Amino acid sequence: MPDAPLSASPEAERIRSAYRWMLLARRLEEKITSLYHAGKIVGGVYLGRGQEAFSAALGVTLRRRQDVLAPLIRDMAGRLAFGEPLLDPARTYLGSALGPMRGRDGNIHRGRPAEGMPAMISHLGSMVSVVCGMLVARRFRGDREAVGAACIGDGATSTGSFHEAVNLAAVEKLPLVIAVANNQFAYSTPTDRQFACADLADRAIGYGIEGHTVDGTDLAACLRVFEQAVARARAGHGPQLVVGRLLRLTGHGAHDDGSYVPEALKKTALGRDCLELARQHLLETKLSTAEELDRWDREVLEEVQLAVATAQKDPAPQAAREAWCALSSVLQP
Amino acid sequence: MPQLGESIAEATVKHLGIVLGQDVPADAEIMEVETQKATMSVTVPCAGRVADLRAEVEVSYAVGATLGYLEVTMEEARRAGIELPETPIDSPEARTASAEVEDNLHFRYDAGDLFAGEDGQPTVEPVLRGLPVPANATGASYISPRMRVRMAELGLNAADLAAVAGTGEGGRVTVEDFERFLASLEKLPMTKASPMRVAVADAMRRSWTRPLATVGITVGLDAMLAHRKTLAAKPGPTLYAIRALAIALAESPALAGRLIGGRIVHPKGIDIGFAVEVDDGVLVPMIRDVDRQDLSSLMAIYHGLVEKGRSKRLPPEAIGTGAATVTNFGTFGIVWATPIPLPEQNLLLGLGAGRPAPVWSPEEQKFLPVTEAQLTLSFDHRILDGGAAGRLLHRIATLLQSPGEL
Amino acid sequence: MALTYLEAIREAQARALHDDPSVFIYGQDVATFGGAFKATKNLARDFPGRVMDAPISEDAILGMAIGAALEGMRPIVEMQFADFSSIAFNQIVNQAATHFWRTGVPCPLVVRLPSGGTPGSGPFHSQMMESIYAHYPGLIVLTPATVGDAYSMLLEAIALDDPVIFCEHKFLYYHLKEDALPEESLPIGKARIARMGRHATVVTYSAMVHESLRAASMLATEGYEIEVIDLRSVKPIDSDTVLASVARTGRLLCVGESFPWGGVCAEVIARVVADGFNLLDAPPQRLNAKDTPIPYHPNLWAAHRPTAASIAESLRRLLRF
Repeated sequence: MPDAPLSASPEAERIRSAYRWMLLARRLEEKITSLYHAGKIVGGVYLGRGQEAFSAALGVTLRRRQDVLAPLIRDMAGRLAFGEPLLDPARTYLGSALGPMRGRDGNIHRGRPAEGMPAMISHLGSMVSVVCGMLVARRFRGDREAVGAACIGDGATSTGSFHEAVNLAAVEKLPLVIAVANNQFAYSTPTDRQFACADLADRAIGYGIEGHTVDGTDLAACLRVFEQAVARARAGHGPQLVVGRLLRLTGHGAHDDGSYVPEALKKTALGRDCLELARQHLLETKLSTAEELDRWDREVLEEVQLAVATAQKDPAPQAAREAWCALSSVLQP
Repeated sequence: MPQLGESIAEATVKHLGIVLGQDVPADAEIMEVETQKATMSVTVPCAGRVADLRAEVEVSYAVGATLGYLEVTMEEARRAGIELPETPIDSPEARTASAEVEDNLHFRYDAGDLFAGEDGQPTVEPVLRGLPVPANATGASYISPRMRVRMAELGLNAADLAAVAGTGEGGRVTVEDFERFLASLEKLPMTKASPMRVAVADAMRRSWTRPLATVGITVGLDAMLAHRKTLAAKPGPTLYAIRALAIALAESPALAGRLIGGRIVHPKGIDIGFAVEVDDGVLVPMIRDVDRQDLSSLMAIYHGLVEKGRSKRLPPEAIGTGAATVTNFGTFGIVWATPIPLPEQNLLLGLGAGRPAPVWSPEEQKFLPVTEAQLTLSFDHRILDGGAAGRLLHRIATLLQSPGEL
Repeated sequence: MALTYLEAIREAQARALHDDPSVFIYGQDVATFGGAFKATKNLARDFPGRVMDAPISEDAILGMAIGAALEGMRPIVEMQFADFSSIAFNQIVNQAATHFWRTGVPCPLVVRLPSGGTPGSGPFHSQMMESIYAHYPGLIVLTPATVGDAYSMLLEAIALDDPVIFCEHKFLYYHLKEDALPEESLPIGKARIARMGRHATVVTYSAMVHESLRAASMLATEGYEIEVIDLRSVKPIDSDTVLASVARTGRLLCVGESFPWGGVCAEVIARVVADGFNLLDAPPQRLNAKDTPIPYHPNLWAAHRPTAASIAESLRRLLRF
């Protein structure tokens, strides 16, 4: 948790808090990458480098335990900000039997559906309608204030699932926030091979919902946009499409070197590291000091080290101890 | 070599960033490798000293191959959460133990074992060749799985189905036919078959699966009868026949051989069996090496075995696979029969009852009374033809008519 | 007062909506219109807000139901035709079916699939999809063949915590009538002996139960008593009842309206051969639809799927063996 801030306003608290989650996410992912390259990770690794600001901004804006967050593959920062325990990614990536998925699913498929964080499946777009359903359930139970956020990338907006889900949310006027991280690439496919509209946020017009565009590298801007979008959804204005423009600063997965991303693109404003920018912002606006930020960095590294060391000592799942039954009912013929 | 991508099996080392003896911090990138999808680095999970370096540049290593060893302090190992070995890492026990211990958390999938044979070539060889494929599983001889199990339960075999009319395809006996047949039997008077009876039935059924034939010859018994009078202990005709058969077979043992596959297996010794009737069947004790013992020395063995056979207490050396067998049905007054050889033999010499008969004497130009009997030789026609069987039988008859040679 | 198979389904839904506030119905045209087959007629009126019209978005319909189910609601999804559930295939098999196993949180939803052919319905309004869904672990697949089962199995399905694919047969909707709903019924997972017999066993489900019973009547006049087993649920399959029947008769014919490759009949035969090889007096047989898409013209359609006559003919061949 961050210390007593230099300025105590809620906005200041949010931005400091968001930065710390971004830092934790970055350092955790760097450690996981290193473990991957040392052969210690089970399965694939998907990183959110470059998207931490956009993701963390959504995470700190949502209400833990009341709202719903369906993260996707580059939302480590948002997950942690929303309340995912640090041991969850550590345990899931390192194949521990004690993680939330108990070895039955792994890496970014982890989740805690009973705590408002559904576990994604690989078919992109399919989680948006699940969030809709979770909101419908809350509505049936009289909770019209809960907001559901579905994270998605530019590529996944091409899927039929995305289209159907957003349309359905619009028809039902659900308090849904769709957070589209347009990082310019879907694996190796650039956006000019993904869609023909000028701005993904324009799609909102087609669905009859409100759309927002934001510079995804600017933490403060992201926080403002999400505060507005989440508030409008909560107030009953229907689904909110939020599109963050940024650049993926990593390969598609840790197994991919992203060599197809043009160097020139990396040198534009789009390619700036949101973590660096956020640090500079905090220093320039005196919301923090270099000493404090460096201390946070050390603390975060310790937290990461501890989580990884704990997970490494956990037992792996045992095939002989599994029930190997996919049904929760016991049907006796 | 780490698993750098789901379907990746190997990677080529492009650049080594370390040397032997070098200290490296945790998460350091120590070499660059190239997979089919991308170029990326290999890192170390904790700080240590490079104690062993096997990787070479431009060489490809399978996922899981050891690229080197890092020497790590206990404190660092604890910090990194590495399982600490109980024995020092240097010791031979530790090296073997670490190689054997299944690393609980760090699953490494070695696909090499799946596909390589001893010389590294894929080994998917068919084990069975040339199994004949039945063209059509119907008809009178087809027995369904259910039938087979039912028959096994009741101790029946295909021969027992001969009495059952089949209503199935091609005359197949269905389970319904079978159960109806059994039910109908229940209405008839029945006695339980003794184990002896069942055993003999099985042996005869098995023997009958071969093409058996019989040749016969008339043999004069007067010489034998006269020879018998000269001996103190009186051997019976069966013993004369046993000895004659043995001598004839010793002259050409292949005649008693068994056809197995494409080969004729010769008998080990000229061991001759003879049929002894017991209360519900027949026993066949065996005398070993009859060709090497003469009539008088055989007498005691023979009578002893007859005794023991009747009381069903044959010694182990009298039980086994012999070369041929003699059966004397003449004792019942039967003059002629075609007995069935034992399933493990292919010759059975049958001796009929001796009776007076007129035989034309060309010298004296009249019929003279002689004592004669019919001798039959049943044989497996796969191994002997009529000619060979006939010649063997003729030789036996000749020997019987010159009892001094026996 | 006769009740049709369709009315039984409506009654079950009405009862579920009444008894459990977590139940709601979602599908195309189900609200005011009462559903394409009137399976939800008047339910939107009687239970305001609990029967909702969906856009033509089968993927999102199922995704939404899944999200509601993992929050503790018990949604009933009506697909307008089973054939259209292929749009929702991903949500059903990859999300709903895996949810409990992956996360420990159950997904208690029911997907109602109007299945099977009627004359002139054509390739995309006639499919039987039970085999495809039964293949995936984590789903329960039901195929009620009677008015009573349409009622009681649907109620039981709604109460189960697992995702249930409820394959109702369109041909039976209005053709099958009963005087009253059952007081009690067999549980899900238990097959029903629809007709006792001695000479051969027919294992079947859904509308083919009725065709098989007609075939059995034909063979009774020829001196054969045919036992007909109604599986009721094809996942799980009541292997015990099937094996006990084959133990009695020794001959097995499986009949299904679905396409021939793989499927329920193949599964039953595989189990009987593996676990009951020595019970068989004849090679087990199956009869399915032809290996082509379902034809539109009634002449072709009638020859495409098993009928009482073709079932009887298969039985005669089996009995002759």
